[in-house]
Amino acid sequence: MEKENIILSVKDLVIKFKLRGDILTAIREASLDLYEGESLAIVGESGSGKSVFTKSFMGLLDGNGWIDSGSIIFEGEEISKYKREEDWIKIRGKKIAMVFQDPMTSLNPLRSIGKQVQEAVELHQGLKRDEAKKKTIEILKDVGITEPERRYRQYPHEFSGGMRQRVVIAIAIACTPKVLICDEPTTALDVTIQAQILDLLKGLKEKYKLTTIYITHDLGVVANVADRIAVMYAGDIVEIGKCEEVFYNGQHPYTWALLSSLPQLGVKGEDLFTIKGTPPNLFYEIKGDAFAPRNPRALKVDFIHKPPYFDVSPTHKAKTWILDPRSPKVEPPESIKILRAQWEVVSHG
Amino acid sequence: MVSKEKEILLEVKDLKVEFGRRKKNKFVAVDNVNFNIYRGETFGLVGESGSGKTTIGRAIIRLNETAGGEIIFNGEKINGKISKELDRAITKRIQMIFQDPMASLNERAKVDYIVSEGLYNLKNYRDEKERKEKVEKALLDVGLLPEFLSRFPHEFSGGQRQRIGIARSVVMEPELIIADEPISALDVSIRAQVLNLMKELQKDKGLTYLFIAHDLSVVRFITDRVAVIYKGKIVELAETEKLYKNPLHPYTRALFSAIPLPDPRRERSKVLEVYDPNCHDYENNPPKWIEIEPEHFVLANNEEIEEYIKIINS
Amino acid sequence: MGKSIVNKLTDSINEDLFEFQEYDEEEAKRGGYSNYSYWYSTWKVFIQNKLAVFLLILMSLLLIFTLIQPYLPNQKSPTEIHINQETRLPLSNNPPDSEFLFGTNTIGQDLWSRIWSGSRTSLLIGLVVGAWEAVIGITIGAMWGYIPWLDRPITEIYNVINNIPKTIILVLMTYIMKPSLYTMIIAMGLTSWIDMARFVRNLTVIIRDREYNLASKCLGTPTRRIITKNLLPYLVSVIMLSIALSIPQTIGYEVFLTYIGLGLPVSIPSLGNLINEGRLLMMAPAQRYQLIFPSIIISIITISFYMMGNVFSDAADPKNHV
Repeated sequence: MEKENIILSVKDLVIKFKLRGDILTAIREASLDLYEGESLAIVGESGSGKSVFTKSFMGLLDGNGWIDSGSIIFEGEEISKYKREEDWIKIRGKKIAMVFQDPMTSLNPLRSIGKQVQEAVELHQGLKRDEAKKKTIEILKDVGITEPERRYRQYPHEFSGGMRQRVVIAIAIACTPKVLICDEPTTALDVTIQAQILDLLKGLKEKYKLTTIYITHDLGVVANVADRIAVMYAGDIVEIGKCEEVFYNGQHPYTWALLSSLPQLGVKGEDLFTIKGTPPNLFYEIKGDAFAPRNPRALKVDFIHKPPYFDVSPTHKAKTWILDPRSPKVEPPESIKILRAQWEVVSHG
Repeated sequence: MVSKEKEILLEVKDLKVEFGRRKKNKFVAVDNVNFNIYRGETFGLVGESGSGKTTIGRAIIRLNETAGGEIIFNGEKINGKISKELDRAITKRIQMIFQDPMASLNERAKVDYIVSEGLYNLKNYRDEKERKEKVEKALLDVGLLPEFLSRFPHEFSGGQRQRIGIARSVVMEPELIIADEPISALDVSIRAQVLNLMKELQKDKGLTYLFIAHDLSVVRFITDRVAVIYKGKIVELAETEKLYKNPLHPYTRALFSAIPLPDPRRERSKVLEVYDPNCHDYENNPPKWIEIEPEHFVLANNEEIEEYIKIINS
Repeated sequence: MGKSIVNKLTDSINEDLFEFQEYDEEEAKRGGYSNYSYWYSTWKVFIQNKLAVFLLILMSLLLIFTLIQPYLPNQKSPTEIHINQETRLPLSNNPPDSEFLFGTNTIGQDLWSRIWSGSRTSLLIGLVVGAWEAVIGITIGAMWGYIPWLDRPITEIYNVINNIPKTIILVLMTYIMKPSLYTMIIAMGLTSWIDMARFVRNLTVIIRDREYNLASKCLGTPTRRIITKNLLPYLVSVIMLSIALSIPQTIGYEVFLTYIGLGLPVSIPSLGNLINEGRLLMMAPAQRYQLIFPSIIISIITISFYMMGNVFSDAADPKNHV
C-alpha cells in the first residue's frame, strides 16, 4: 500500500456534554486518521456518538458540549483548541462541509434555490454576478438537476425530497471543500432515490477530488460507496478497516451484530440475528468493553479491562479481546460465515 | 406457508380515496386498487412516499374516508357509513402499528394507560385485576418488563417505544394488524428485533399483517405476498419469491435494483435501474390489471403483456 | 498500534479472565432508567427558582391574610366613618399613625382595613373570573379545535363576539344590571373566555393530527377522552401561564372600569375603588399615601402572578425537567 496523505488526524478525542447537571461522555478516546481522497463510512447506532464525533471537526458541538482532551489535526493545524468563531469560519464550509439528513432544515424556504447555491459560489469562489450564475448552473447540472436554468428560479417547496438533497449537496460543493461529511444523507429518502443520491455522491467525489465521510446506521447502504469503514459504538471506534475487510472479515462482535441483523442477509422464515438490549448509558463510566453487557458471548475480561486495538492487517484493526491469543475461539453468527466465505476469494484472488 | 384452502380475510375492491373537497384542489391519492389479504399471511404493500400506501392502510382502519369502492372484512363491508356495533367490532379486530415510535405514543401518559387505552374503550375485562393481567401479558409478549408500566414513554429507546406501540395493538387481540412502516424510523440493529417480534406474534396469535413499507429488502424478508404501488395505482402483485424472481413491471425492477446489498463486491457490480413513468405508451394503449400467471398480477397494456409473457416463459 | 504496546497492556491481565461470562438477557433489557413523575418534576424545577418560591409564599400569605384579617383583634370596619372626638367631624385624611396604620381617607374610613377588604374583593373577582375563563375557555377551545364540524359555527360566533368591543359589552351589562360584585363578575366572565378559547383552539389544531392521536382513534378512544388525555396534558404549561396572566389582568380591568365610573359601587371597597379615590388626591403630597398603598398591593399581586406564571410554565415543560 502506497503512503497516503493524512488530511485529518484525530487522537484520543474525548468529548463531554453537560446535561441536566450531569456529565455525559459522548466520545471516549476515539482516534481516526482520514486519508486524502478516500471515502470513509462511520457506522453506528443512534447515540453512538458518530454525529458528535464529526461535528467536532467543524466546531459545531452544541453549547453544552466541549472537547475534554485529545487532539484533532486538520492539514497540520491543531483545530481542537479553536475557541473563537472566526477560527472555525476558516474551516467550516470552506475546508469541511456537511450535508445533513433532512434537506429541508438546511434550506431557506423563502429564497430560490439558485440564489442559495449562488450565495455559496460568490462567497467561496470569489465569482461575481453572471459568472457566479454560470457556475451555479453548472453545479446544479453536476448534482443531477435537470433543466437547471428553470430550476434555478424555483423554491425549495417545489422540489421533491431527493431533489432537495441534491440542492443541499450543490451548496456544499459550491464551497469547494476538501472534506465533505454526509450525515445520514439518504435516511429520509425513498430507496430508489437513496441509491441515486449515493451514486451521485460517488461521482462528485471523483470529479471534485473530495474526501468524504459518510455517517450512517445502516451498514447495508455504504458497501458501494465507502473505501474504508469505521464501526462506532458508545463513543469509540471499535473496528476500522477497508470496506472488504470489515464486510467479509469483520472481527468485532458488534460489527457482526450490525451486519447480521440486516434483513438482506436474513433467511426467510427464520429469525434475524438481533442485538439485545440498549446501548450503555453514557452518563456512567464504562468499564471494559462497552458492548460486553449486550454480547451473549462476552468474556470475563470484557467487563474489567478495555480492549486495545489488535491489528488484523496493516489496514484493519479492532478493539476486542477475542483477538487476544489467549481468548477462546468465538464463532461468528451464521450469516457472517457466509460473508467470510467470500473473504477467501477476495484476499487470495 | 400459505395453505391450499385460503380464506380471504380482507378484500379491497376498486378502492378510491381522494383528498380536498373542492374540484380545484382535488387529489386522487388511491385509484382503483384491488387486492385480497388471506387469513394468517403477511401481505406487503411497497411504494415510495406519496404513493398512497399509507392512505390505503388508513382507509382500511377508517381514518381516511373512501371516495369509491369497497373494503370487505370477513364478508362485511366496512367502509362508508356503518353501524356503531360494527365500528366497535372492527376497532377490536383491526389494529395499527405506526411508523414513528417517537410520535405515536402519548408522552404525557404512563405505559399502563397507553397499553390499556383500547381495553378501556371496549371494556372487555371483568375487573381491574383482569385488565392489569392483560396489560402485563401484552408487555411480556412484546419483550418488555411489567415493571415498565409506571414509566413514561420518553424513558424508552426507539425500539422499546415501538414495542409499546405493538403491545397496545396486540392487547386488543386483533385479527388484522396494519403495520405502517413499523421499522423505517428505527436503527438497523433494532429493526431486526422488531421484525422478529412481529413474526413471533404472528405465529403465536395467528395474526394477519398488512405490512406497508418502502424498502423491498425488509418486505422480501417478512411478507408472503406483495403488491407494488406507484402513484396511487398497484402496478404489480405476486407471491414475494415469485416477484423477486420475475419482476415484470419496470418500477418493480427499479425497486429491486435499489436494494442496498451488504456485500461490496456484488454491490459494486450492480446496475441501478431507474424507472421512467414515460416509458409506457398508455395514451394510445391503456393498461389493464391482469393475472399474467397464476397469482401474479401486473398493470400492463397489450404490448407489454406480450413482452412480459415472453419473460416469464424464458 | 505496535505489537509491543499491546503486549505491555495485555500482559498484566490474568489468563482466567478469558472465559465466557454468563449472559443475563433481563439485565440487557433493563438498561439505565430513572423514575419520573410529571408533576413532581414540574414542582422540582419550579422550586429551583428562588424568586418564584418567594413570590409563591408571599402570595399565599397575602391571600391568607386578606381572609383572616377581619377576624383579627383590633380591626376596624372598612366602611365605618371614624369621628374626630374633639371636632365631631369625620376624621378625614388622617396620615398613617399607630391607630390608623395606613391612615384614613377623605371621609374618615380606615385605609388599612379598606385595603385588605379591597384586596379580598379584587382577588375574588380575579380568581373567579380566571377559573371560569379556564373552565369554559379550555372546554370550548378544545372542542373547537378538535371536532371538525364544530370549527365553522364556533368560528362564526367568535367573529361576532370578538368584533364587538369588550368595553361596550361591559358598559351595557353594568347598565342593564345593578352595579354589584356579581354584575362585575358576570360581565367580565361573559367575554373573557373567548380569548382563552381561541388560544386553546389554536394550540389544539397544532397537535391534533399528531400520530399518537391517530393511534388513539384507531383504538376507539372517544373524543372526550382524547381531549382530556391526549391534548390538554400537552397544553398544561401554556394554559397555566395564560391563566396566571389573566388573574392580574382581570384585577386591572376592574380598576379600569371603576376608574371610568362603571365599576363597583363606592360602598364596596375594591382595589379599583381605592385607587380611584387615591387618584383624586394625587396632587396633594401629604395625602398621596392614599394612592401609594393600594398601588403597592396591586403591583405586588400583578408582578407575582406574572412571574410565577412564567416560571411555572417553564417548569411544566418536560424539556426543562431534570
